[in-house]
Amino acid sequence: MTDEELAKDLGPLAALTIGIGTMIGAGIFVLPGAAVKEAGPLAAGAFVLGGTIAIFTAASASELGTAMPKSGGAYYYINHALGPLFGSVAGWGNWMGLAFASAFYMTGFGQYVVTFLPVPSLSIAGITISGVKIVALAGGALFVFINYVGAKETGKLQNAIVLILLAILAVFTVFGLLNADLAKLRPFVPPDKGISPLLPVTGLVFVSYLGFVQITSVAEEIKNPGKNLPRAVLGSVIIVTAVYALVLVTVLAAVDNSLVAGNETAVVDVARHLIGPVGAGAMLFGGLLATASSANASILASSRINFAMGRDQIVSSELNEIHPRFGTPYRSIGITGGFILLFILLADVGTLANAGSVLHLIIYGLLNVSLIVMRVSDPEDYQPDYRVPLYPFTPIIGAITSFALIAFFANTIVLLAVGFVVFAMIWYAVYARGKATKQGILGKYILSRSEQIPDAAVSATTSVQPDGGYRVIVPLANPESEADLIKLAGSVAKARNGTLVGVHIEQVPDQTALESAREEFDFAEADELLEQARIDADELGVPIETHTILSHRSFEEVFDAAETYNADLMVMGWGPDSHGAPGRAESAIEEMTHSLSYDVLVLKDRGFDPSRVLVPTAGGPDSDLSASVANVMQEFYDSEVTLLHVADDKQEGEAFLREWAEERGLGDAKLVVETGDVERAIESHAADCSLLFIGATERGLLSRLVRGALVLNVVDDVECSVLLAEQSRKRSLRERLFGSD
Amino acid sequence: MTDEVESLFSRPLLPLANEADAEASCAAAAPRIVAEGGHAYVVHVIEKAGGAPDKASVEQRETVAEDIFSLARGVATEAGIELDTDLRFGTDVGDAILDAAEDIDATAIVFTPRGGRSWWDLFSGDVRDRLVRNSDRPVVVLPAQRDDHSETIDGET
Repeated sequence: MTDEELAKDLGPLAALTIGIGTMIGAGIFVLPGAAVKEAGPLAAGAFVLGGTIAIFTAASASELGTAMPKSGGAYYYINHALGPLFGSVAGWGNWMGLAFASAFYMTGFGQYVVTFLPVPSLSIAGITISGVKIVALAGGALFVFINYVGAKETGKLQNAIVLILLAILAVFTVFGLLNADLAKLRPFVPPDKGISPLLPVTGLVFVSYLGFVQITSVAEEIKNPGKNLPRAVLGSVIIVTAVYALVLVTVLAAVDNSLVAGNETAVVDVARHLIGPVGAGAMLFGGLLATASSANASILASSRINFAMGRDQIVSSELNEIHPRFGTPYRSIGITGGFILLFILLADVGTLANAGSVLHLIIYGLLNVSLIVMRVSDPEDYQPDYRVPLYPFTPIIGAITSFALIAFFANTIVLLAVGFVVFAMIWYAVYARGKATKQGILGKYILSRSEQIPDAAVSATTSVQPDGGYRVIVPLANPESEADLIKLAGSVAKARNGTLVGVHIEQVPDQTALESAREEFDFAEADELLEQARIDADELGVPIETHTILSHRSFEEVFDAAETYNADLMVMGWGPDSHGAPGRAESAIEEMTHSLSYDVLVLKDRGFDPSRVLVPTAGGPDSDLSASVANVMQEFYDSEVTLLHVADDKQEGEAFLREWAEERGLGDAKLVVETGDVERAIESHAADCSLLFIGATERGLLSRLVRGALVLNVVDDVECSVLLAEQSRKRSLRERLFGSD
Repeated sequence: MTDEVESLFSRPLLPLANEADAEASCAAAAPRIVAEGGHAYVVHVIEKAGGAPDKASVEQRETVAEDIFSLARGVATEAGIELDTDLRFGTDVGDAILDAAEDIDATAIVFTPRGGRSWWDLFSGDVRDRLVRNSDRPVVVLPAQRDDHSETIDGET
């Protein structure tokens, strides 16, 4: 077996049982009592309606899952499509939604235990904790512990549990059918209330339809996800809906409504009535298994969501530290466990179910919107194996029904949902925006069409874009120039409290697939280069992240990487073999460098020595960049900075230069004004300096440099290192929105 | 089969469980590998549940593996040893390590004891014990340098 096959070892049945196992616990073992009390036999209709709403979202989740089989599932798709603002809502929603749901499952577990094991309630400091809650707390703690130490046997039990449950329910249904009397189902709609309880009850029982989305959170482990993921996601919703409806209808046809209504463990009593003590025992056993497996699967899924959130810096990645001994994400599981226990203590079973449902409904709505965004923007790498039928109706109906159902919850629950969304957005603005780097497809789409889209929309989009601090990307190609580039880039990053991003582009021959290169290539050299960069950055005290990028292209990939990693500044070396031969398509480079959204410094390295810096200036934006880098050099390396201005009139020139220097905080620099030929003046003063700055005097320095069309004799004629500066072109857009910064 | 006996440290395989383990094992083995002019191999195994959801995401644990390997490479580079890394997936960590040893025909499987609270092995499984019992090649247990990280080696944080 290949590593790929070993890593993806969840077969179709295992994937299906994650979904069924998470869902079946709640619907049939805990909720019938409350649902029938409100709606009579119409409760069965509420289960079917809930399943119908779920199936639309399940279709969307399947398509997104086959396009992006990544750990984290729903959160990942929403973050990817709609950006980290909604990602934060989805991540927190999914995480807390699962914690509420787990608390609900555990409370259900408690209700089952107390039917045979009388647990006394406990009073501490005037607060009474019921026996049900004590069992729920103990059970919750147990399942958190099991996941904390990662006992791997529990995962395998899931398949068996689901099959046993389905068998128990099948036998139960058969007995029910034998005793069925259709007259008992009438009136199907409660005569006093009419159809009005249908939607509120659908909201209540919707907690029974959270499981299918947890399948997507382990999507990266599923064998052949293109086929198995949609089958598991859609299959689990269909099977579970059918089971719920069938069991409930037979129950209500076989016994009086009064035996079910308001009964917390209704199915046990119905089984006792229909089958006798053995039946009651089996249903009791089933209830325990079902609630336990739901909670266990939910805790596991929430740690995947935490991981994916940490990967995108929505939460601290320290949350996702792996336990050195157990190999589990113990902090994430521990904190999730804390929330579960807290929720069990604070809320009653109905509130827990509603909170879990409402948070998931927000996610479901966003999932459908994400699908539409992906289809409309149609990025190149979006290649789902499964496509939702009847697009765009399916996701539109899915989004509308999911969001609309929220309105039928109690006001306090709706308020909780709104408050929660506000919290997650504030969390993003205050905590995550400065750290997150991943931009959503929607944001990219809007910003790339900023001319055609109303200014207000562009402005709103810009103001929520992630802004991972000041990020300096350094493409590293060879060990000789690595230290100098890191020194230069590191000092700028440090001055701005920023981060270095070291990237190494590994060029893969066209005939080799990138995936197989990832497995077969030897990256020892690249690793060493990046390791050295990390050591050098550590010495400077600058945070650094490093990436090896496999690509069929070499030079062009540098610009893509700068976009991907959200660079504010790129610092690159330039030499005969710095970054491989530029590609054949010159126009492509022209295109890429035409709309630089970051500043660029190119170092012609002849040994990095910032002790004596020469900055020739004629004013203009690119010499602003030179000036600010000179500032950093002064501060960081005590550089002696000389400003050179070539003017027609010496006096005017001196006045200009003095003012220019003052404005840019270089008042203490040595000022030199010359008349005559610019290049000659630069060359003669460069003889005394160790580092020469050249600002691009006109646009397109970089593209001309790349094409070898740049005839700047100065660069070759001087003996010191030369730093070429080109300022970002996006400035104008940003200026328009925020003023200059 | 040749009659010539190879030195234990000419092609040793170091199974590395976590960063602390990597630090301890590599530091302890490096001088011995240098002395033999050997070539080091390190393996890290990502434990799979084999048909059930894993205890942690694969991608998450691949990141951990990368950290472990880069630590090992650091030690090897400093000591001037050639080092190859091997990332494996397996439902049984011990078996996967033995397979890795077989593939490179390792001269020994080398590790340092991680000590501490053996009752936790109830949950994490005692891989080392399994290696000692099932290996058909020498298993060398090196004393870890106890001065700095003895607590973290146990992995309790």
